[in-house]
Amino acid sequence: SFNSSCSITALISPNFFSRSPSHLVGCIRTVKTTTWFDEHLTEDNQEYMRKTTAEEYRRQTAEKLNPLKDEPWQRHEWTEGSRRVGLVAVKLGMVPVWSKTGERHVVTMLQVQDCHVIKHLSKEEFDGHTAALVVGGKNVSPFNRSESQMEMFRNAGVPPKQKVTTFKVSDNALIKPGTPLYAAHYRPGQYVDVTAKSIGKGFQGVMKRWGFKGQPATHGQTKTHRRPGASGPGGDPAKVFKGKKMPGRMGNVYVTAHGLKIWRVNTKYNVLYVNGSIPGHKNCLLKVKRHTRAHKHTQTRK
Amino acid sequence: MAACGKGLDKFMFSLRLLRNLQLQNERFLSTSVCRLAVGGSSEQPPKFTPPSKPVIVDKTQTVASTRSHLSPEFIPPRQRTNPFKFYIERKDMIRRRKVLNIPEFYAGSILAVTMADPNASGKMNRFVGICIQRGGHGLGATFVLRNIIDNQGVEICYELYSPRIQQIEVLKLEKRLDDNLMYLRDALPEYCTVDPDMKPEPISPTGEVPVNKLKVRMRPKPWSKRWERPKFNIQGIRFDRSLTPEQMEHAQKWAQPWREYDMLKEYDTSKLEEQILSEVQREMSK
Repeated sequence: SFNSSCSITALISPNFFSRSPSHLVGCIRTVKTTTWFDEHLTEDNQEYMRKTTAEEYRRQTAEKLNPLKDEPWQRHEWTEGSRRVGLVAVKLGMVPVWSKTGERHVVTMLQVQDCHVIKHLSKEEFDGHTAALVVGGKNVSPFNRSESQMEMFRNAGVPPKQKVTTFKVSDNALIKPGTPLYAAHYRPGQYVDVTAKSIGKGFQGVMKRWGFKGQPATHGQTKTHRRPGASGPGGDPAKVFKGKKMPGRMGNVYVTAHGLKIWRVNTKYNVLYVNGSIPGHKNCLLKVKRHTRAHKHTQTRK
Repeated sequence: MAACGKGLDKFMFSLRLLRNLQLQNERFLSTSVCRLAVGGSSEQPPKFTPPSKPVIVDKTQTVASTRSHLSPEFIPPRQRTNPFKFYIERKDMIRRRKVLNIPEFYAGSILAVTMADPNASGKMNRFVGICIQRGGHGLGATFVLRNIIDNQGVEICYELYSPRIQQIEVLKLEKRLDDNLMYLRDALPEYCTVDPDMKPEPISPTGEVPVNKLKVRMRPKPWSKRWERPKFNIQGIRFDRSLTPEQMEHAQKWAQPWREYDMLKEYDTSKLEEQILSEVQREMSK
C-alpha cells in the first residue's frame, strides 16, 4: 500500500544535510489514520534507522561501482537500428547558453541522480517483439514502499528508487541489472526525447485548456465571456460527439518533448544541458531517451 | 564538443595567465623597487641602472578594490529550485569573470561597453551610457544603458555574461537614490546625455560608493508610467516642479501601508550573501 502522503523520503537521502531545508517546505503529514515507520520507535531508534539506511545505500552503490565484484554482461557492437537504454533524470532549471558564433539559446539542466538498471525483461516476458530494461532514478526511503516493489530492488541489490520506467531495447544493448548509468551515456550533439508529467493546473475552463477564444468583454454580452459557446452541429447528429473539448482537469499527464539537442554534458556532476523547455516542474523526474525520427512533431528537424 | 571544450579550457587558461601577468605588471606601484631587487640578487656586480621614466599608474581600473562587493546576480531568488543548480551556474559565472573583468557598478553609474559585432566596421562597437536598470539572476543577468545620441534616446540591454562583450569599463562609479532609473525616459534629456568620449574618472578602491542625491526634473505629463504612485517609491524626482500637492495626495490613494508588515514577503539574504561572497572570492583568487 502506498503510505507516502508526505515525502519522508527527503529525510533518508544522503543529501539531507547538504541541502538547505527548502525541500521540506510543505511536507506535512496529511493522512493520520495509518501508522508510519517512525511512530512507535524511540528517538534513538529513529536516528539509527535513518543512519543505517543511508549507510546501506552508500555500500550498495559502492559495490556496483567495483568492476571486480560482478561481471557485466557482454558488450556488443552498435548496428543500424539498435536501440540503447535511456536515463532517468531530475529537472534542475533553465540557463542561457551561447554558441561559438554568438547565438544565444536557452537550455534546461537535467541531473542524472543515482540511475540504476533494475530488471531485465526478455522478449517473451515483455511483449513478444523487443526486450526491455527497467531503469530507476533518485533514491528514496524504503519504509514507504510495498513488499513487491522492495523485492525487485533487493534482487538487483540497489536502493529503492522514486521513478521506475521501462525502456524498449534491442538485443545487442542489454545491460546487467544493478549497473549504474551516468550522464556520459549521451554526448553533446545528440538528440533526445524527454517525457515527464506536466504541471497540474487543476480543473480549468475551456479557454485555458483548449485555447478557445471566448466571447467579447462588452457590447451587451450577458454573463458570457469565457464560455465554450456552441457544442456541435445541430439536429442532424442530434448529439455531442465523443471527445468534445470541454472544461476539465488539465495537466499532470505524461507529455514528451521530441528532438531536443544536447548542448553540454557535465560528467563530474552528471548534468545534461538540453535545448529548450521541458514539461514538468523543477526537481521533477523525467525519462530521457534517444530520439528516433519516427515522430513528426520534433523541435528540430534533422 | 567535449574534446574541443578541453582545448578551449587550455586556451582560456593561457589567456588567463597572460591577463594575470599583465594585471600584475600594472598593479605594482613602482617598478624601480623591483629593478633594484632584481639587480641585487643576480650574480653580476650591482650596476647602477637609472630608473625609467616615471610610471603613471592608472588607478582607475587596475588596482584591486578592497571594497568587498557581491554582484546582485549571484544572489539566488526565493524559489523552490535546488541550490545545486545555483552552484553550477555560479561556477560558470566565475569562469567567465576570470576571463573578462566585470567591474562593480550600480544603477546610475556611467559605463562604456565594447561588444563584438559582425556587421560593424572594425568588428567592435562601443556604447557609452548611464545604467538605468540591473536585472536577472545567474547567467542571464542584464543591464540597460541609456544615452541620447543626435537628439534620439537610445537604450541597449546587455547581458553581463554574453561572450560577445569584450570590455566593460566604468567611467563614473556612483549610486543614485533609486535602484531603477526607468523614470529617466520621462525626464528632461539633459539628465541622460553622456558624452561618448568621456574620460574615465578615478575610482577610490576603499570607502563607500558616492551617492548622487540628484533630484531630476521631468517633462510635462503624460509619462510612460505614473511615477508619483507609492508602488514605485521613487526618491529621485522633483515632483514639486511637475505636480500639485493635490495630485500628490491623490497618488497616495494607491499606497499599500500593510506591505511593510507582511512577514511572508520578507526575504533575508544576509547569511546567504556572506556564504556566496566567501565562495566567490575563494574561487576568483585561485
